[in-house]
Amino acid sequence: MQYEWRAHYLDGQTAIRHPATVRLMRRGLEVEAPGVWTRFWAYDDLRQTQGFYEGEEVRLEHGGELPEALLIPDVDFLASLHEVAPHLGPRFHDPARRGQRVRLTILAGVAVVAITGALYLWGIPVMAALVTPRVPVAWEEGLGRSVVEHLAPRKLVCPDPRRQQALDSIVARLAATTPSPYTFHLFIVNRPQVNALAAPGGYIVVFRGLLEQTGGPEELAGILAHEMQHVLQRHTTQAVIQHASTGLLIAALTGDMTGPLAYGLQSARVLGQLQYSRRAEAQADAEGMKMLLAARIDPAGLIGFFERLMKGDKPPRTVLMYLSTHPSHRDRIERLKALAAGAPGPPVPLLPDSDWGDVKALCSAFGPGTPPP
Amino acid sequence: MEESSPGSSAAFFRRPAPPPPGPMPAPGPPPGAEGPDVVRRPSFHGSGGTLLGIHVVNVLLTLVTLGVYYFWAKTRVRRYLFSQTQFEADRFAYHGTAKELLLGFLKAFVVFLFPIIVLLGVRDWPGVDANIKAVAASLASILFFIFTPVAVVGSRRYRLSRTSWRGIRFSFRGKAWHFIRIFIKGSFLTGLTFGLYYPVYLTRRQAFMVSHSYFGNEPFEFDGRGRDLLGTYLLALLLTLPTLGLCWVWFVAWKRRFFWNHTRFGSARFRSTVSGGALLGLYVVNGLLLALTLGLAWPWVRVRNIRFGFRYLALEGPLDLERIQQQAQFASATGEGLAGFLDTGFDLG
Repeated sequence: MQYEWRAHYLDGQTAIRHPATVRLMRRGLEVEAPGVWTRFWAYDDLRQTQGFYEGEEVRLEHGGELPEALLIPDVDFLASLHEVAPHLGPRFHDPARRGQRVRLTILAGVAVVAITGALYLWGIPVMAALVTPRVPVAWEEGLGRSVVEHLAPRKLVCPDPRRQQALDSIVARLAATTPSPYTFHLFIVNRPQVNALAAPGGYIVVFRGLLEQTGGPEELAGILAHEMQHVLQRHTTQAVIQHASTGLLIAALTGDMTGPLAYGLQSARVLGQLQYSRRAEAQADAEGMKMLLAARIDPAGLIGFFERLMKGDKPPRTVLMYLSTHPSHRDRIERLKALAAGAPGPPVPLLPDSDWGDVKALCSAFGPGTPPP
Repeated sequence: MEESSPGSSAAFFRRPAPPPPGPMPAPGPPPGAEGPDVVRRPSFHGSGGTLLGIHVVNVLLTLVTLGVYYFWAKTRVRRYLFSQTQFEADRFAYHGTAKELLLGFLKAFVVFLFPIIVLLGVRDWPGVDANIKAVAASLASILFFIFTPVAVVGSRRYRLSRTSWRGIRFSFRGKAWHFIRIFIKGSFLTGLTFGLYYPVYLTRRQAFMVSHSYFGNEPFEFDGRGRDLLGTYLLALLLTLPTLGLCWVWFVAWKRRFFWNHTRFGSARFRSTVSGGALLGLYVVNGLLLALTLGLAWPWVRVRNIRFGFRYLALEGPLDLERIQQQAQFASATGEGLAGFLDTGFDLG
């Protein structure tokens, strides 16, 4: 075995590297600057800071914040060190274990894939479902208000107290079917798109385009029930929590690396979001239908509305928008029909004294709808 | 933000043991034996595969520790990258510890980020008076604006203080308030001149960063003037439309050459020969690598970037290492923690 090794010595005070010789002893190293001095460094006072990877010299530091250092080019030195002083164990790197490190790294890679998959498919949805009911309603209302300020700025909301009152009465009749901590606010927005959406905390936004496509109050009531269920089931809040958690997971995966890898994973995030939202849509459909039935509103209106949207040979561009955010397939209509079969009794008509053609012209005073921004 | 003068360093760094008895004769040729045309190049020896391995283990431990390991992960990557960087047959060394980073993060959070969060909370809280909201919002943006230069300086101070070559620490001795002034003036004049002041600001900023950087007791020097960059900047602006923006790659290469070629250390001068074409080639191949591997090739891309930077860089002229004395400076990790929030993206290479 080789006891004597060629090295370089740095004194921690100047930038000159001095040739040195190192001899392995039982309790420490004998360091010799040829012809100048010889010193003894106990193993207990040494720490290794380099020489863990291919190509690095072994660097041993001795002393406090600004240490002296020994640089030994040949990593076989470490093997000899472990032979001379086996009691030191993992204090100093053992190059013989580099193969083992590769195997452990591969295992770590498998574990990362497994943990990430489990968190993404199972952990995050379950966690979000557990956390969501504990989010204070006041927080949701704050979030909802800021969303509504964006989507329905005051100058785009059609102000018509008389007709609005008729629409609010539909919301009130639906809301009365179930106790809830939310106060619902309905905004009709002067935009041509056929769409409706819900913000957390009880805010429902219906675009003028959708309102004018409805053939009666029952049709609108079906859509309102669906959106109100998004609020009651706290779908948006849950999505926000899921989105933030997925963001944290991505941050953990990419570490320091922002950019390309993160962008690649962002698409997985969007896909996940779509998955969540499809589940939420199905739930809002089912619960919304139950709400309609509980309010004794005729479900045929909603089903007829969807069938009309689907049947149009060439649905106008604005209709496609509703279909893209509310997946509207044949089987969705079939599912709704099946749910509607459970009606408890004959429906009680909505707004029997009003002319729907007049009510739905709520935004007509504004002229043609504002084009999308 | 801690400020320190060269004299106060002893408070943090204990004086090392007195030098060994008897001066050591310096080996090698006597100073002055090397001519002015000596060319020295840094080199990088790390591999993308090893970097990926380190990253994989880091990710696992970060997930298992719910993120706490992040600071250890960062330190491991830096230690590897520095240890694989070589100049004159000696590797650089990174001395930062994860504990420092964690404490720096916590301190930055309490001292800097927490007030911003509170102010933003006041701004967004329903039912608060609109005037109070406006005050809170403007205070928050002022704080945020000031924190950027504080973080940039703090992070540079921390990183240089934890970097050594041949056992001698680097240091950064610029004052944060000095950079805040440059930053505010730069942002203000850039806005006022519709961007024309920007290259001057870039150069001022570089001059500040370089000329307050030290290796041991020897400072780096920067002698570029702001207006030198202006002509190229204007040319790039004019060519933006005809070249569909590609001319900016050449501007970046020109800027790098300009910055390096005006950087000196003692009697030696840095020289960069990077060209726009080479830089474009790097970007294209990196982009392809990332696109074809869905981003998994990023460790190799990182290695390629560092190698590229060094390939076109040299230090020319006599390097009088005899004169260099250890002169480490105190630096807390708070600015580094703050830079983590702001993602200023300063890193090796």
